[in-house]
Parts: sequence; C-alpha cells; structure tokens
Amino acid sequence: MAAEDSSAPPSARFEEVLTISNRIEELSNSENEYEEMGTVANEHESANIAFINSITVPIRDKFQTETSMVQDDTLGEVLLFLEGNPNDFPLNNFGLPQLQRAKHKSFLEKAIGDYEPHMAPLDAARPWYTYWSLQGLSALGEDVSTYRDRVIATFKQCQHPEGGFGGGYGHLPHLAATYAATLSIAMVGGEAAYECINRKAMWHFLGRMKQADGGFTMAPGGEEDIRGAFCALVAMSLLNLPLELPPDAPARQQGLTNFLDNLGDWVSRCQTYEGGISAAPGNEAHGAYAFCGLGCLSIMGPPKETLNKYLDVPSLIHCLSSRHCAPECGYNGRTNKLVDGCYSHWIGGCWALVEAAAGKGLWNRGALGRYILSAAQFKKGGLIDKPGKRPDSYHTCYNLSGLSAVQHEYVFDEDVNSDIGQDNLGAPFHWKAEKQVEEGKVWGDEDVVAETHPVFVIPSQAATDCRKYFEANPGF
Amino acid sequence: MARKYYHDDPKWSDVAPLPQEDYGHHPLAAIAYTEEYSEAMGYLRACMAANEHSERVLELTEHIIGLNPAHYTVWLYRAQTLSALNSDLRAEIAWLNPTALQHLKNYQIWHHRQTIIDKLGSPDGEPAFITAMLDQDSKNYHVWSYRQWLVKRFDMFDGRELKWTEGMIDDDVRNNSAWNHRWFLVFGGTVGEGEKVERDVVVRELEYAQDAIRKAPQNQSPWNYLRGVIRRSGLPLSALQHFALEFADPENRPDDDVFSSHALDLLADIYAAAGKTELAVKALDLLATRYDPIRKTYWEYRKGLLEAEGRKEETGAASAAAVETAAA
Repeated sequence: MAAEDSSAPPSARFEEVLTISNRIEELSNSENEYEEMGTVANEHESANIAFINSITVPIRDKFQTETSMVQDDTLGEVLLFLEGNPNDFPLNNFGLPQLQRAKHKSFLEKAIGDYEPHMAPLDAARPWYTYWSLQGLSALGEDVSTYRDRVIATFKQCQHPEGGFGGGYGHLPHLAATYAATLSIAMVGGEAAYECINRKAMWHFLGRMKQADGGFTMAPGGEEDIRGAFCALVAMSLLNLPLELPPDAPARQQGLTNFLDNLGDWVSRCQTYEGGISAAPGNEAHGAYAFCGLGCLSIMGPPKETLNKYLDVPSLIHCLSSRHCAPECGYNGRTNKLVDGCYSHWIGGCWALVEAAAGKGLWNRGALGRYILSAAQFKKGGLIDKPGKRPDSYHTCYNLSGLSAVQHEYVFDEDVNSDIGQDNLGAPFHWKAEKQVEEGKVWGDEDVVAETHPVFVIPSQAATDCRKYFEANPGF
Repeated sequence: MARKYYHDDPKWSDVAPLPQEDYGHHPLAAIAYTEEYSEAMGYLRACMAANEHSERVLELTEHIIGLNPAHYTVWLYRAQTLSALNSDLRAEIAWLNPTALQHLKNYQIWHHRQTIIDKLGSPDGEPAFITAMLDQDSKNYHVWSYRQWLVKRFDMFDGRELKWTEGMIDDDVRNNSAWNHRWFLVFGGTVGEGEKVERDVVVRELEYAQDAIRKAPQNQSPWNYLRGVIRRSGLPLSALQHFALEFADPENRPDDDVFSSHALDLLADIYAAAGKTELAVKALDLLATRYDPIRKTYWEYRKGLLEAEGRKEETGAASAAAVETAAA
C-alpha cells in the first residue's frame, strides 16, 4: 500500500535550502526571500524556517550521485514537516506539533493486539512486538503491569525447554527473543512474571551461545554479531545469573571459563576506522550496533572504565556526532545514509552512556526533539522512519525512547542503589535520572515522556525491581 | 499458490502433529494463523521433537518458508537437515537465489546462504550474485557483511576484489559501504589487525581517498577513510595538513573558500596535535558558528578539551613535516 504522504510535492523551500547551501557567503535574509516567493508564512513557520537556515551547512557539492539524489528527495519531504504543519497537529509553546499521546497509545495497543492471518511473517517477531509496544506505552506514562497475565501467557509459549526464549511455541531459542522477553517480563514485573523464567536453563542456553572469540551467536547455529553480546548481557544482568560458564558450554573446550572472557576485546574489534561500531569485526559502522556495543560495555562495568578501556572514545564520539543530519534534525545510522526516526534511540540513546565516559554536553538534543515531534509523528498515530512512511511499533518505540533520551539527563553514580548490583554485572543498576533537560527545549510539559533506563530501555524502576527480586532469590 | 495440507497425505500418516500449547490468558500480538500455517507448524514441531531429518522435512521447511520467510527456526532446522542428509548444496543455492532477491533485509536468508557456501567450500558464482543484489540496494548491510565473510573465508583479498570495489565507489563515491569494504580488503585481511602496513600501500590509499575527496569535498566517506589510514599506519595527522588546506584555511582565508566542513574538522585536530591551539579553536569556531552548526555542542566540547589540555609544545611537528614531504 502506498504511503499517504509519499505523493506530496517537493517543498518550494527545498530549492531555497539548496540555494543556501550553494551560497557560502550569506545566510541571514532568506526569510524575506521566502515571503517574496508568495507563500504565506505564519509566525511559527517563520521561526522554524529561521531555525532550519541556522543549522544548514552552507556547502554543497555539485557532483551528483545516487546517494546525493535520494538525499535531496528526502530532504525535500522532511522540510515540509519541519517547517510547516501538514498534519494539522495542535502546536506547543515552541510552535512545534504536540506529542499525540492518545493517538500513539491507541496505535501501540493495537500493535499488541490480534493480527490477521496474512501477518504470519511476523510470527517469529512476536516477542519484539510485545517489547516495543510495552516500552512505547511505558514511555507514554502508561502502567503496563495490567498486561502481566498476558505477558506471562505469551512468554510461557515462547520459552524453550532447554533455555532461552524463541519467537513462539516450538521455535528455537534466540537471543533477540530472549532479550525482548526478559525486558517485557521485567516491565510488567511481579513474582508470577519473574518466576515464569527458567533461569537455570537460561544460563545453559547463554553458555551455548558463547563463542571462543568472545562474542555470542544469536541462536544455535545462528549468526554471531554484537546484538548477541548485548542481548545476552542484558538477560544475565537483569536475572542476576552467575558469570562462570556452565559446565556444558562448548567454549569451555577452548579454555574459556567466564561469560566475559575475550568479550571486551571482541567489542573492541567491532570498532571501525570511522570510530563507530559494526555488527561484527570488519563490517561497516552502524548506529544500532553502536548502541548494542556501548550497552554491552556499560553492563560489563562503569562506562567510564569500560568504554575508555575497550574503545577509542574520541573517534567514537566523532562518528556518533556525525550521524546528526543537517538540516533534517534527526539521525541517520551510517555515513551518507538517510535520516530515520529509529536512530533517535539507537544514536540518541548512546549519549547517556558516552557522556558517562567522556563528559557532558556532546549532542544537540533540541534538534532531535524537533525531528521527532515535527517529522516522525504519523497523522493517525504511531511514529515513523521519515515523512512518507507508515508507522510501526518498532519506529514508535524507538522514536519515543529517543524523545526520552532528549528530555532526561542520566548520571552514573556508584552510590545510587548501592544495596544492589555489587557483583554479577551489577553496574547498570547505578544510574539515576538527574533532571529534565532545559537546554535546547522545544517541547512543552504535555510533550514530556517518561524517563527510561539508559541501558535496558525500560522504566528504571522495572529494572531495579527485577534485579532486586533475583538478588533475593539467586538460586536455581 | 495452492494450499497444502498434511493430515490427509499418506507420506505423513506416521506423524502426529504437535499443536501449540495454550497457557490460558490471551497472548499478546497473537496471529490468527491460517489452518495451513498452523498445521504445517504442527508437523514441523513434531519432526523437531523427533529430531527427524529427511527429504520430507526439506519439503515441509520449504513450504513454511514460503508462508513466512522470516522464520529463523525453520531456516536453522533446514540447514541441519541439509547437513544430515548430505544434500546437493548447489541445488539449495539455486533455490535460494530468487527468495533472497525478494527478501533483501532478511537476516536468516543470508545466514543460511553463508552456512551452505561454507559447507560447499567454494565461492563460485557468489561474487556475481552479490553484485546483482547490490544493483538493487547498493548499501544493504547484510549483503556487504556476507561479502566480507566470503572474502575472508575464501581468502579473496586480491586485486580482483579491490578492482570490483573501486567500481562500486566509481558508481557512487558516497557509498560508505563500498569504502568500508575497501578498508576491509586493504587493512582487514592479510595485513592483520596489528601488523605494519607497507609504505606504498599507505601512499596508494591516501592518494585514492584524496582523489575521491576532490570530486566531492563535502562527502565524509573518504575523509573518514583518510583519517583511518593515518591512524592505522601510525603517521602523524599533520601528514594531511597540506591536503586539507586545499579545502579550508582558517589561518589565511577564514571567511571564504571553505569547500568542506570535514577539512576544518581535520585541521582542528592537526593544529591541536601540533600545539597550535589558537588555530584549532578558530577552525572549531568556524564549524560551530557557520559551517556545521547542528554539531555546535560537539565542536564546543572539542574546544573544551583543548583548553583542558593547555598549550602543548610543538611535539612531533618537525617529524610530521618530514613525513609530509616523504608522502607527497
């Protein structure tokens, strides 16, 4: 089905922005030129246009390639939404569309509901749909514990008798499904939910995924990439699992004894010449894998120690910072790729971890907030990759999580929650949400989403409660 | 496609399908499976429980993949079955090709392909197939990652692969995946991760990236490559000063003729390394206020680092100049 907005004509403003880009010497009077073009620019639009002009790079190469052409097309589409308000959303005090809470809530509730038979291709991804919806609803301030019984019913079906969770009943265990299941169970919380996890079998499953080179495969016989390392450590940390490898772990035959053996070095090998992090050694630096890599290191220990030990942090920051697209205001995932709302989280979520290692004030929160509110909200609810695309629960979750990263500041402090997380990958339990951000603010009180744990990407209280439970009940 | 059932198929009469277990409360994101999908999955679960690997299992997995190509369990079980039966793996690849073209972003298909080609022990036909895939989606992450696996597995770090990669960069000098692949070929293979790189290779790579930058100076891919080569080879960053000044010169012409924000970025680091803090600050200010203002906080952060470090002696400046002369 064609997207509703995909046929919108390119903005007249697009040509103008290109002109600004070509014109190295002058930036200031473009507002007047705009009005002379006969378009009615109201007060808000003028302010938006002035902002866009202020962040446009005034250099543009004449040499065209496929990349520059699709980039130009995308910018044209995005500008319509950054400057005007084609969806006719009510505006906040900053002249930007308000967060459409009710519509997004309704979208996510549907996304977690029943699917028609033709949706069979998402069968193996049901744990993801569950996690994305529950986290999206949590960000919107909803109490998701009402879903407890249904979460338990869902993941009892998905749990594999030999440990870990799969996409559904009878599916092989998979680390992505295990990640989504663990986080969903932690989000709804409560003893009945926690106890539906077979932790001992989980420990054995994770042990079977551990590879001699330090990384983890996603499934038995499956691919080894940095998602595996992150997903495995998320489960181990939340469930307070022992760090020694189970006796039947194949990696023991290569001399490994601990889940963390060779892991930091393996993550190191995923840092590329660009400074970013790739799926596996040799691959291209990519925003989603950057979050996985940083998340993994932030579970292994305090970010200030682990990031600086295993990564070249200045080049990492250079690469992450370069992902901010101007003047689109959102992030892309790789050099010379297009802006996409999901990187609001994958890149936006990296900053709390990086700032804990390198110092505050690295990124432009306001611009990202602008992209999410103006360009990533779908008219009928749900959030999107970019204007012209359809909403889905993945983009809804990660735009909302990105908005949370924009609006809240997190501090890593060993003294926080010092009653838990003293061993067994306890580092991520020592974060606190310090305050709401004022700098670069483009959102009203009505647009503020809930704070989110910077590593686990669920409400912090849910992560703390889950760990507390398994510290009190550590036995198998 | 005609629907396919097993309950009345004599070939399957010995198997009792395993239905999905139900745990009471209505599961989330539940799919109203068709009878066909439901039944096929029931038979697959039964086969998996009995650890059956047979021709009929191959047929069954093919059927389910047709209904749901994102079903990793079915792909993994199929791979196990192929291996157990010693099946014709060339036939498997031939079957896989059209499926792969329809589902470019599917993790499973690429991993399955990797498993099969690994077992076959030959990359024959694979480079051409990958090229056809990249014609449709020139930056597809799975396809490039698969190509890197292939190169490593079959030791294809040769001139032919490098030439092909050059062709990809010629097609689109902004294709960062192609740049990454070039890096992988030149520095990720035979050279090894910690080994010293031959001087003529370093010179060749610097020149290659510099030529690309001259085509489109605001294209970040070759700038990143350039920095990478310098870091990897242990040369001082100042070896790039002369080149970067072609595109921006904060010292002599700060107000115009800036053709690349990336040149300013690089110059800021070059000046910082040489202890020329004022010039570094000037380059960063130009970026923050004019040439790359969306990253203003980042440029300010870099300025803050300079101030924190204080003014350094012009360490390495003399040796840097010597290397620059040698590399020119």
